[in-house]
Amino acid sequence: MQEVSYLVAAYAVVWLGLFAYLAFVVLRIRGVRTELAAVEELVREHNEKQDQHG
Amino acid sequence: MALANRDTQTERQYSTIGTAGQNTRPPIASLALLTLTFIGMMTSIFMIFLYVPTDAIEGIPQRIFYFHVPIAWIGMLAFGVVTVAGIGYLWKKDERWDWAARASAELGAVFITLALITGSIWGKTTWGTWWTWDARLTTTLILWFIYIGYLMLRSYMGRTHESARSGAVLAIIGLIDVPIIYESVNWWRTLHPQAEVGTPGALPPSVVLTLMISLVTFTLFYSFLMIQLYQLQRMQTLAQRLRASVE
Amino acid sequence: MIFLEQVIAILWKDVRYELRSKQMWTGMGLFALLVLVIFNFAFDLRVDNKAAVAPGALWVAFVFASLLGLGRTIAAEREIGSMDRLLLCPVDRKAIYLAKLLGNMLFIGVVEIVALPIFAALFNVPLFVGALLPIVLLSTLGIAAVGTLFSAMAAATRARELLLPILVFPLIVPIVIGAVRATGTLLAPAVNEPPWLGLIAAFDVIFLTVSMLTFEYVIEE
Repeated sequence: MQEVSYLVAAYAVVWLGLFAYLAFVVLRIRGVRTELAAVEELVREHNEKQDQHG
Repeated sequence: MALANRDTQTERQYSTIGTAGQNTRPPIASLALLTLTFIGMMTSIFMIFLYVPTDAIEGIPQRIFYFHVPIAWIGMLAFGVVTVAGIGYLWKKDERWDWAARASAELGAVFITLALITGSIWGKTTWGTWWTWDARLTTTLILWFIYIGYLMLRSYMGRTHESARSGAVLAIIGLIDVPIIYESVNWWRTLHPQAEVGTPGALPPSVVLTLMISLVTFTLFYSFLMIQLYQLQRMQTLAQRLRASVE
Repeated sequence: MIFLEQVIAILWKDVRYELRSKQMWTGMGLFALLVLVIFNFAFDLRVDNKAAVAPGALWVAFVFASLLGLGRTIAAEREIGSMDRLLLCPVDRKAIYLAKLLGNMLFIGVVEIVALPIFAALFNVPLFVGALLPIVLLSTLGIAAVGTLFSAMAAATRARELLLPILVFPLIVPIVIGAVRATGTLLAPAVNEPPWLGLIAAFDVIFLTVSMLTFEYVIEE
């Protein structure tokens, strides 16, 4: 039944590939959210400093 | 699961970068698409393995066809989207078109990679070789290179207007070129007839139906991923711009 | 200044500039010859094989040499900043493209003219048949049409020498197929051969037009 193993391999590649990619995307979104939060903090502090000196 | 939605406060200051969604709205579109994809995938698997009859000529491995073909089609559709988005950017000069272009380029590269791998495996089962220079596989490979070139170009040039414009031009040239490449490889091959990957002849209705369901499923998944990647591009641009404003 | 005058003016400027620095010409020429020599070792050139391998060797040499030349011209311009000054003038961007294209074709053409007789000698093939000139001319035009556009794109990046071949090679596949087959048919005439020269000509028309129209989007800062 070597043929079936090829079929399984093909489907496995697609499933694993797409799942792995989805995970990759989710991780990046999470990462950029964290970075955005951090940068927004920076912006807030920066604006506060501006208001103080302004 | 970190689904993308529109939700940062600072967005109000940067009106082009996001609508005024300061509350965290549930990502309805994303969830809907994901659910539909799941349903579609379950249906497809059922149909591919239990409903469709085994192909008389190729046997069991022919069922790779039901994944391989939709994935390849989506890979090509994605390139069309990159080009249309690129033209949109050149015309409207709105960077949101460019976000869509970058998103679709990344997705298309992934889909084409999977199409090449599944196509290679399918070729191995039908013809015993992992690769054959038939017009379809060869053109898919060239398209893969064009995708990689696009992603490299955008990566090297960064998030600038020049980068977006160059990407758009590359996509336009690529879109026009792909049919020409396909035809020229076809001509070249008529001189050296070799193994060809594909299912010849007319297709019975059960096959067509299964193929269509599978295609719809993958299109839904593509749409879902497009939304995620688009939002990713938006947030990355926002983060980069904000960071630049304080440094 | 009318369009054609602009083209010739820019072209003349480039040619004068390149004539002063001869290194590129000699570099490209030597490179083409080296590729041909390496092909001799890479493929076992017994008599019957030659006609099959020779066109491929020739066009690999030409394509690689072309890419060398394409990368240099626009990169040099950006380095010395003359491109920015040129863009400040009310010059039609299409004229700039055409001038760059013609300049590139001239350089590549010179290399081809030098390499061809040596190729014919090395591979011992009768190459100077009539139809060779249109094949070489139209193929070079196709490679240069796409290459000029993309060298402008890649010039803005740091890894331009790496990026330019990656961008250009996939897109000129029809030219490569057509040129190799057409040259092969010259050496060993075959029946039922598809109209390769027509394919190359069609490619040229299409991509010359598209490149000329999209060049302005690539070159502006």
